Amino acid sequence: MDVSRRGFLKLSGLSIAALASGLGFDPTIAEAKGFVLKLEGSKKIPSICHFCSGGCGMLLYVKEGKLIHLEGDPDHPTNEGALCPKAASLLSVAYSPNRVTKPRRRAPGSDHWEEISWEDALNRVAQKTKEVREATWKANDEIINAKTGQRDLLSVNRAEGIAFLGSAEVDNEESYLISKFCRIIGTPYNEHQARI
Amino acid sequence: MTRKMILVDTSKCTGCKACTVACKEWNELPAEKTQLVTSYQTQKDFSPKTWTYVTFIEKYKDQTMNFLMRKAQCFHCGDPACLKACSSKAIRQTESGFVVIDHKKCIGCGYCTENCPFGVPKVDQTLQKSFKCTGCIDRVENNLKPACVQTCQTGALMFGDYSDLLGQAKNRLSEVQKTHPQAQLYGEKEMGGTTYVYLLMDRPEVYGLPVNPTIPLSLTLWKDVVRPVGGIAVGGAAAAVVIGVFANIVKGSYRSKDD
Amino acid sequence: MSPSFGRGAMTNSWSDLQNAEVFLIAGSNCAENHPIAMKWINRAKEKGAKMIVVDPRFTRTASKADLFAQIRPGTDIAYLGAIINYIIENQLYDRNYVLNYTNALLKVAKDYKFEDGVFSGYDAKSRKYAVTSWGYQLGSDNKPLKADSLEDPDSVFSKLKTHYSRYTFETAEKITGIPAVKIKQIADTFCEGKPGTILYALGMTQHTTGTQGIRAYAVIQLLLGNIGKAGGGINALRGEPNVQGSTDMANLFNNLPGYLPHPINTDQSIRDYQVRNGSVQEKPLVALLKAWFGEHARKDNDFAFSYLPKINPSVNASMVKLFEMMDKGQFKLAFNFGSNSLVSIPNRQLVRSALTKLDMLVVSDLFEVETAQFWREPGVKPADINTEVIMFPAAFVYEKDGTLTNSSRWIQWKNAALKPLGEAKPDLEILDSLFKRIRKLYDGSTDAKDAPILNARWDYGEEASALKVLQELNGYDETNGKLTQSLADYLKASVGTVSTGCWIYAGVTGNGNLAARRKNSDSTGLGLYKDWSFAWPGNIRILYNRASCDEKGQPVDDKRKLIWWDAANNVWSGNDGPDVVDKTKGPDTPEGKQSFRMNPEGAGRLFAANYMSGLPVVPSADGLPAIGVRPAGLCVDGPMPEFYEPTESPTDNLLHPKVSKSPVALILSSSPEIQKMGKANDFPHVLTTYGVVEHFCAGGITRNIPWLNELMPEPFAELSKNLAQKIGIKEGDMVEVSSARGKVTVRALVTDRLQTYKVNGKETETIGMPWSWGFASLSPGPSTNELTIAALDPGAGTPEYKVCLVNVRRA
Repeated sequence: MDVSRRGFLKLSGLSIAALASGLGFDPTIAEAKGFVLKLEGSKKIPSICHFCSGGCGMLLYVKEGKLIHLEGDPDHPTNEGALCPKAASLLSVAYSPNRVTKPRRRAPGSDHWEEISWEDALNRVAQKTKEVREATWKANDEIINAKTGQRDLLSVNRAEGIAFLGSAEVDNEESYLISKFCRIIGTPYNEHQARI
Repeated sequence: MTRKMILVDTSKCTGCKACTVACKEWNELPAEKTQLVTSYQTQKDFSPKTWTYVTFIEKYKDQTMNFLMRKAQCFHCGDPACLKACSSKAIRQTESGFVVIDHKKCIGCGYCTENCPFGVPKVDQTLQKSFKCTGCIDRVENNLKPACVQTCQTGALMFGDYSDLLGQAKNRLSEVQKTHPQAQLYGEKEMGGTTYVYLLMDRPEVYGLPVNPTIPLSLTLWKDVVRPVGGIAVGGAAAAVVIGVFANIVKGSYRSKDD
Repeated sequence: MSPSFGRGAMTNSWSDLQNAEVFLIAGSNCAENHPIAMKWINRAKEKGAKMIVVDPRFTRTASKADLFAQIRPGTDIAYLGAIINYIIENQLYDRNYVLNYTNALLKVAKDYKFEDGVFSGYDAKSRKYAVTSWGYQLGSDNKPLKADSLEDPDSVFSKLKTHYSRYTFETAEKITGIPAVKIKQIADTFCEGKPGTILYALGMTQHTTGTQGIRAYAVIQLLLGNIGKAGGGINALRGEPNVQGSTDMANLFNNLPGYLPHPINTDQSIRDYQVRNGSVQEKPLVALLKAWFGEHARKDNDFAFSYLPKINPSVNASMVKLFEMMDKGQFKLAFNFGSNSLVSIPNRQLVRSALTKLDMLVVSDLFEVETAQFWREPGVKPADINTEVIMFPAAFVYEKDGTLTNSSRWIQWKNAALKPLGEAKPDLEILDSLFKRIRKLYDGSTDAKDAPILNARWDYGEEASALKVLQELNGYDETNGKLTQSLADYLKASVGTVSTGCWIYAGVTGNGNLAARRKNSDSTGLGLYKDWSFAWPGNIRILYNRASCDEKGQPVDDKRKLIWWDAANNVWSGNDGPDVVDKTKGPDTPEGKQSFRMNPEGAGRLFAANYMSGLPVVPSADGLPAIGVRPAGLCVDGPMPEFYEPTESPTDNLLHPKVSKSPVALILSSSPEIQKMGKANDFPHVLTTYGVVEHFCAGGITRNIPWLNELMPEPFAELSKNLAQKIGIKEGDMVEVSSARGKVTVRALVTDRLQTYKVNGKETETIGMPWSWGFASLSPGPSTNELTIAALDPGAGTPEYKVCLVNVRRA
């Protein structure tokens, strides 16, 4: 019995009475039927939470390439399917209108961003890395030798003008490449929020 | 499906509010604008978009702090006032014990809101529909736990067959009472035995819960006095409904905009 | 942790918390910041475990405690010292454990002293210690002399006893504000439950004495015999999703991956490096050089050691100091991947100023975090700022393949579940593209300084593959190009024949991608889950588990068996991977006795002595400096924890008023106009800062999630009802909180969860403020780090976020 609101009001109290008198729907014997699970037809893909260091397992329900639901991974031995409020909210990061989705540049002195291509962004940064590396290269530290009292030149190979912050928020492989990238170009000034 | 129960063991709850996020995520409910209400509580009441929230009470006595958190949502009463009150037969009770609103039938009259002793259902005035916790009936009927239970990390929310879980709740209560003698179960007897049963650390009034929740008299008249007479008292039944409707008009919840 | 046990990592695991009989949770609000901990703590509690919480505030964690004590921020060592004293005086320590598994019997050098609040070797001018007097008395074999009994006045144990005899419950009460009876109750409760575990996080580290606070935990746990055992340990709850991994990978100026010390300018060869760091570091260093430079790292060129940059040891470039260097103009280009310093660095004025000194800032993030748009913070004129900013859109955790290492040291693999949003890319791909471009720019260069770039081994495929990088971390047998099978294989290989990007990860992909394992059965019931992912090192789930056995190598706890010596088969075996030097060396051998194999003594260190094992007795014939085997991890601020007042404190140090504060704390001083110091007359209250469960760290992600903003929409200041009454405000009013460095206006949360307390007889108030807000995002709010002070722990470089002086008034 599918009664529209308008129709219902026209029927008024009489039909309610009719139903109440046993002629219609009796909720006590009603069964929940036909509850279609929105997850039907989706793929379950496990992942790891991105907040504290619990490393809780998440299950992503992905349907036609789109994330439709996310919950705790019941097979994960740490969280056994549970998630804290932050993890439970992570569906909303996937399609957040606030995500940055294109590279952008803020020119010196400018008060706004402009969108640029990946090609342009990467080239600018690569060029700048070379430029600063050349300009601030320190081949040697000069120290006074404690024993001889003479000045010693110690080879140090440092790009003094480049710093790299990051990160406890990226994967191991990324964190490692940051470390490797820094030392190969000659900067030991690689730090991150683990300190703080 | 057998009768289910959700135990809300407040002795384990840390007020992390994951249940409220999981509820909104699963049921696709948007966030609402809030501010701090008291303690760490930011959600004041139920709304058509907020079906569950956590209350925070700080009770400091004899240099001891009792920091009480309670997840609030529809109790899914054994004897639901909303169901009795519903003018459009939109509310029903599943075999598993959940009280659900059929939005195809709901007309947003607000009787459920008015008559619920816990103030749970809320009418969305734009949609003209009443909303509340569904017990994630779509999940439950498909053998999943409700979203709030699924996400609870501390073990404060448990889902299971009514008889099993009630036994567990009683055992847990006797443990908790060793340190909190006022601890008690709430919902075992109230409203015909609710589907969400609480293990409270203190008396219900400390949490702002009614001590003896009851079904309003007008509803009792209609359903329990008139209805048993059945078909032979159609006139009487109609009269009772009128009384009920009248009672709600007086309370100001009966609205009709487009008729 | 490292100076005590040999490794800087949480000793046990999340699921192991269920095995504890008692918890001391102090310096961690785990219900908020590590919510999953509560699942396992609640399980232990159901079995009867007791939970003690010590915190400046009655937190959501405290709501579940059996025993709670409100402490004045920054005074932990005072009550912990009193507990150490109580344990020793009442002989509550585990005698067997102390004798066999700690350095209690070793004799301390005769010239070691502690007087008037200062350890021997202090140089007031440089504000540093020379650590030479913190050593042992050495025998003719260069090994430490061992006393016959704990009572020997030279023994470590006697030094410990004397040192802490000054710490009584009554003194501790005057310092901490915790009643003496309560401290005794904490001591009794914690000593009675075995095993007992300690949980800490940033509440303990974010002090100028953070490292020493953790040392105090180590001393207690070693005395009670709780390390290496299921349900015991010190669980350092790491703060971020991959902070264990990112420290393993050494995004740190003074390390290389796998906790190798970073080469310094006097290390002109691998030999020099070994003189400082011991021969034990030769293999991992060479293996790293092989991973980075492949066939260009050969024995005849000292394995390309000269390619590595060498740091100047007199320059401390740790996170906050780095911004000081930036502010002085040292850096022209800075990369900022996945962090939000403009919100998270203490006394954030420093960051605001420093970023303007750059030519270019390169940001990679999901959202436009405050740091990325520092040039348009309200009140700032963009036209005045000449820094070019490039922002890369980063892919989120579930949009990329890779591993994260959690606090339990589990290296967990996940496959990308979604395509990155829009044009976003994984940081891996960004770094790979960037490096390839830079290398191209140097194409053909013959300049020696460019050789590392041109000769680097960098091949992760056309589109960088995370698995290939993980395999590089696992390492290869360089003689045949095959993946190293296990940590044991890496350890067996000779120097130069094996490569690994991070030696402690050896074995992770040796036999398939073990990080991706998903078998969650656990026949032990102890929550070891050894077939789930892979734990470093060598899949050991509970570190130092040799100490769970007696001298004969048999488990001391029948209910919680981890490993044992299997005499029939002559091998260490067990439920967990044995943390022993060599699985075939039994408990009667010197190797088999070592319970803390990463320490040069092979024992847990009650006294963090300066010591290098294996120094040859006869000097080398060629006159070169001698190379030892393994140096000890040191604390730069003392071999035993001592209580010092925070940098900004409402009172003097009761124990030694002349040396009230840590004499070696690093207090940023290069910009006095930015780093002003406050006095108690002007700023009488103690501010402590923290996170809330609804937001994460600097809020870069969570403040862009509407559901979380709904749950915690704004920052606030928690204060006691007494203080609220004094300044005439009620809950919900706006208040202005100010320090010598800045002020912010937030809503007041008036609560009984903070109580007025007495410090040395004087009534004192603590104000609490979460720090996760900034001017950007969907939920902007004032940053609490306007107020905090850039004063750092001298060893770890961690800032004292947990204590500074403030005033408060109605806004």
